[in-house]
Amino acid sequence: MILASLPVFLLVELLLWLAVPGLPGILTALATAMLLSGFAVLIIAGLWGVGKIIVRSVLDYFSAKQRAQRRLWFIQARRDQLKRLFYFKTRQIKYFNELSRKRLLQLNNRKHIRSLSKAIDKDLLSIKTKLPGTTYQQLKQDHARYRNRQDIEALLTLQQKIATLV
Amino acid sequence: MSILNKLIKLFHSVKDQNLKWQLANQGDQTKLKHARVLAEKALEAELKKKSVQLEHDISLLRTKHDAELSMFKTKCRQDVKDYKQYLAALDQLKSSIQSSYTHLPEAVAFTIHHHAKYLLNKMWEAEDFEQKMQHEMRLIRFMTTVHEDARLHLEGATTDNLPERTLNLIEQQ
Repeated sequence: MILASLPVFLLVELLLWLAVPGLPGILTALATAMLLSGFAVLIIAGLWGVGKIIVRSVLDYFSAKQRAQRRLWFIQARRDQLKRLFYFKTRQIKYFNELSRKRLLQLNNRKHIRSLSKAIDKDLLSIKTKLPGTTYQQLKQDHARYRNRQDIEALLTLQQKIATLV
Repeated sequence: MSILNKLIKLFHSVKDQNLKWQLANQGDQTKLKHARVLAEKALEAELKKKSVQLEHDISLLRTKHDAELSMFKTKCRQDVKDYKQYLAALDQLKSSIQSSYTHLPEAVAFTIHHHAKYLLNKMWEAEDFEQKMQHEMRLIRFMTTVHEDARLHLEGATTDNLPERTLNLIEQQ
């Protein structure tokens, strides 16, 4: 209809060129009406098509097959989630287990460092009179520092140093 | 006018043909529709069956997981308990060597104990079983050496002031 209106417009041009009176006005109105109604039909058809597609897809979405499919996916997702949960729970148990083991180890370390530091204290006191005051103070400070840091290596070397000083 | 008539005729003939075609293929069409409905029903039934199966699997999986988790928890608790016992045994080792070598410097006793603990941790943190066994062997060898040293000294079999064999072992490792 839109294409058909084109020759009518051309005809109007031709009639205007030929200077035919009266006819061009009527033909122009006809061509315009044709063009507009053509567009209207096009738009209505488009809307109809879109509406049909929407209705069909909504019906399909709520059809029994699709609902069953969605339910299956949902259950599959739940199963995967359960598996992941299991993995993370094991990880969690492992982590807390490791933590309590580390705590035991630390308690034990602290206990033995305390006894070592007591021995160092005793050694230091026993050689206090043989050492210059500043050296004694320095050694004592070092000892306190290493003990606070729980530095095993440093405490052992300090003990050796004290043993060689005697 | 004749053009309009022709157009109307054409329209009618098209409609006729359409009707004829519909009539001829009606059986096939209903069959097709029926088959489609049946296929959809079958698919739906299959999906439902799968869902039910999966639900069942999930409940099985859940009980299995629960059982495994509780077992794992007990095992871990036992592990920590074992570790505690090992630490107590190492403490015992230290006090035993200290009681037999009365003049043993604290630093030496500490070093021996510390090394034993290092071996214990190595064993505990080993990833695969073989490595774990190796470390356990090393730890056991170390502990027996320490006890042996203590025993020999207590019996007066050696005159060393220090548990030399144990210290050698530490040096080697």
